[in-house]
Amino acid sequence: MRRADRRPVAGAQGRRGPSRRGLLRITFSWLLWLGFAALGAVAGLWAAATARFLFPNALKEPPQRFKVGFPADYPPAHVESRFKDEHGVWVVHGTYRGQAQIYALSSVCTHLGCITIWQEEQKRFKCPCHGSAFYMDGINYEGPAPRPLERYAIRIADDGQLEVDKSRTYQEELGQWHDPDSYVPT
Amino acid sequence: MSLGKKLRNSQLWRSIFRHPAPLDRRNRVAVMLTNFVLHLHSVSAKKNSLRFSYTWGMGLITLYLFLVEVITGVLLMFYYRPTIECAYNDILALRDVVSFGVVREVHRWAAHAMVITVMLHMFRVFLTGSYKAPREFNWVIGVLLLVLTFLLSFTGYLLPMDQLSMWAITVGSNMARATPLVGHEGPGHQLLTLGGVDMITSRSDARLMLLGARTVGQEALNRFYVLHCVALPLVATFLVGLHLWRVRKDGGISGPVAVGDGRQTGAVGGEAS
Amino acid sequence: MIDWPHYASEEGFVAGLAGPLGWYYLGVAALNLGAMWYALRRRRSRLEAVVWALMGMAFAGLGGLAMSGHPLVLPEWLKDACDRALGPVTFTLGAMAGLVIFYLGRRVLVQPLVSWTALNVSLLLMGASMTDPDFARTVSRPDNVPIVGMVYLLAFFTWLGTAQAVRNDERLRRGQGPVEAGFTDKVLVWPDVVYIELIGAIVATVVLVVWSLLIPAPLEEPANPAVTPNPSKAPWYFLGLQEMLLYFDPAVAGVVLPALIILGLMAIPYLDPNPRGSGYYTVDQRRFGWAVFLFGFLGLWILLILIGTFMRGPNWSFFGPYEPRDPHKIAAATNIKLCEYFWAVWLGRGVPRVPPESGGLQKLGIILWREIAGLTLTCAYFVVLPAVLARTALRRMRQAMGRARYWLMILLLLMMLMLPLKMILNWTAHLSYIVSIPEYSFNL
Repeated sequence: MRRADRRPVAGAQGRRGPSRRGLLRITFSWLLWLGFAALGAVAGLWAAATARFLFPNALKEPPQRFKVGFPADYPPAHVESRFKDEHGVWVVHGTYRGQAQIYALSSVCTHLGCITIWQEEQKRFKCPCHGSAFYMDGINYEGPAPRPLERYAIRIADDGQLEVDKSRTYQEELGQWHDPDSYVPT
Repeated sequence: MSLGKKLRNSQLWRSIFRHPAPLDRRNRVAVMLTNFVLHLHSVSAKKNSLRFSYTWGMGLITLYLFLVEVITGVLLMFYYRPTIECAYNDILALRDVVSFGVVREVHRWAAHAMVITVMLHMFRVFLTGSYKAPREFNWVIGVLLLVLTFLLSFTGYLLPMDQLSMWAITVGSNMARATPLVGHEGPGHQLLTLGGVDMITSRSDARLMLLGARTVGQEALNRFYVLHCVALPLVATFLVGLHLWRVRKDGGISGPVAVGDGRQTGAVGGEAS
Repeated sequence: MIDWPHYASEEGFVAGLAGPLGWYYLGVAALNLGAMWYALRRRRSRLEAVVWALMGMAFAGLGGLAMSGHPLVLPEWLKDACDRALGPVTFTLGAMAGLVIFYLGRRVLVQPLVSWTALNVSLLLMGASMTDPDFARTVSRPDNVPIVGMVYLLAFFTWLGTAQAVRNDERLRRGQGPVEAGFTDKVLVWPDVVYIELIGAIVATVVLVVWSLLIPAPLEEPANPAVTPNPSKAPWYFLGLQEMLLYFDPAVAGVVLPALIILGLMAIPYLDPNPRGSGYYTVDQRRFGWAVFLFGFLGLWILLILIGTFMRGPNWSFFGPYEPRDPHKIAAATNIKLCEYFWAVWLGRGVPRVPPESGGLQKLGIILWREIAGLTLTCAYFVVLPAVLARTALRRMRQAMGRARYWLMILLLLMMLMLPLKMILNWTAHLSYIVSIPEYSFNL
């Protein structure tokens, strides 16, 4: 389009030509907007699809349920470390709010996911990464951990053994430790 | 006729270089204009850009270290296999089974050095006020390159698959878990629900996208390997090119600007190339 | 390959160091002789030359002593005093005070006589400290060596930049242009620049190869997802972030603050309204920008890296430079939230509890009421304080910058200042979170 064409011609305003041209121009600009909006939408969908591509639909993970022996194996005030390496679980016979119970604590620090260490002489779970510490019941008391260790579901299976189910977790700060699935009373 | 002259007059030489040896002014200009590699530079530069006390030479050394990283990185890739079973043993083999087995050392120390020189380069550019107009955007690109340097170094940290790697990456990636909205322990993740079902869980949050799994393992190793060897270097190469190109287009290495006229004293803004 | 002598006793350790330390002191002596030559030939200063010659001779003597098996050793009481004095609070406040002193006294401190003496003192302390096994082991870990190098590089370049700034400031006061204005003539890039690049590349290669031959790249045990080493450290350049994770929620320290650091750095050219000081070293013409950057870069980023690298040991406890890294060191670090201080300690009442059965709005109300002190404080810090500053101390800056720029700048600045404030509150008052709403994973 030559520049002269763009300028409205004096005296030509009432005619059909220029107004039709104006209409065309408005339609064209709308179409242009629509086209770019569609392009943007498709690009957005593409980005979303690419992001979704990064999430696998199935995760290969070890079995979530396992047996940890009979309740009688656990003397009071005892932290069992046998299942930590394979399953990431401390099985504890301790007390929570004055009630004696057996519960399964996750060994993963709630701060940034390091594996806590049970220090027998200080009776505490200690995180080697940033120094968070938790009492035997899993409540945090020093260091940057924002909340207590998580509990896994635990129950007495049909054969009388304790069975831990890692697919369900219970968080103290949400009041979930009162859930009877989160402990076995003794 | 000396051997050098003979060489420079040969058909092969003249087919590569389109001008005589850069011994006079005309050909010194020509060498910069006709050589693809040297064309990153302008033809002439302010004397200021030659002074160590002004530039500290840190940008130059960073670029050089980046090249060292590319070359040693390619060499390391000939031996390294990114699987849980092989990775650690391959790193051991690089030391014990290979002659001149310091390539990994050079790669690692050059990476450390590069982080230091990048920071020093930024420090110098700040102290001389070289981020001021017209170089604002090049500073922004420089910050992106700083971030890329950190990311390259961080992804490379996992590849030996030793305890150092494992836990540095566990801690680092668990920060992603706490990302607002899209991390499953971050503030506001509760807001994203669809029909009462949480959208953001440990199976669908930012950390899983980074690791490809819920813990640091084979999937994470593969992702970090690809990021470290392909994706991030490509982006970094592009940005380095952009950064250098803009150094030229913004008037070369900075020099004093008199307040008021906004022009560099004794120098023109853009340079002819 | 540097292999620090294995030692059964401290005496055995010191004896094993005789050779390396002797050469180290002789190297420092040679450095001083070089400085003497430079003072005579280039600076034409007899005084400096004499001082450097004396220092060089002193170091040569120390080298001889070290080689004969009697290196300079720091007395135990001094080491103990250092360990006791260098807590996190004194270390941080000391570094801040150091920056202030450097800023105020820069005209004196960048003088060669002062700065070269400071370098000599630091090299002397370094040599004497290396006879302490705990210090030596921390400093000579392969991944820590680059950081020792970085400290010296940073000190050198801070001096180099500031010395030129001081000289330029004097010239500018006299109405002359900065030194850099004398170097705006052009030269051809071939050969001048290209050859400098070649030399730079060669020097870098030599340094890298020597470094790689001397120090092997560390490789620890194979990865074991069940055992976290104690302590577990991030790569050194992220130790600042890891240190921040002690004082802030992971969402803040791991995501929000890093993002703000990056965005804040990118925003610098757009937030700095000062047209002066472009293309030459100066302090006087851009005091505010200079001070803020040095505070953020040296005073926070580098300081936190140093704390994380050299001071943090097993259980992430804080250790003095000469203190044995005892994994059983117990540091009382019980954490108290501000809401607990406010309700329980100051008001003597119980902290309001959220009943488990309470619904959305009621729950939110109770939570906000519980956190009323922290929320008020946060609001005062981020809203009232900048507004007050805009009318008082920073009025001219606010006018020069305009509303949006001022607020962006002041919020980033306050975020940055929040870090040392919270660190010190945590160390002194065991304060963990100012606002803590674990119900919504929000902690500040």
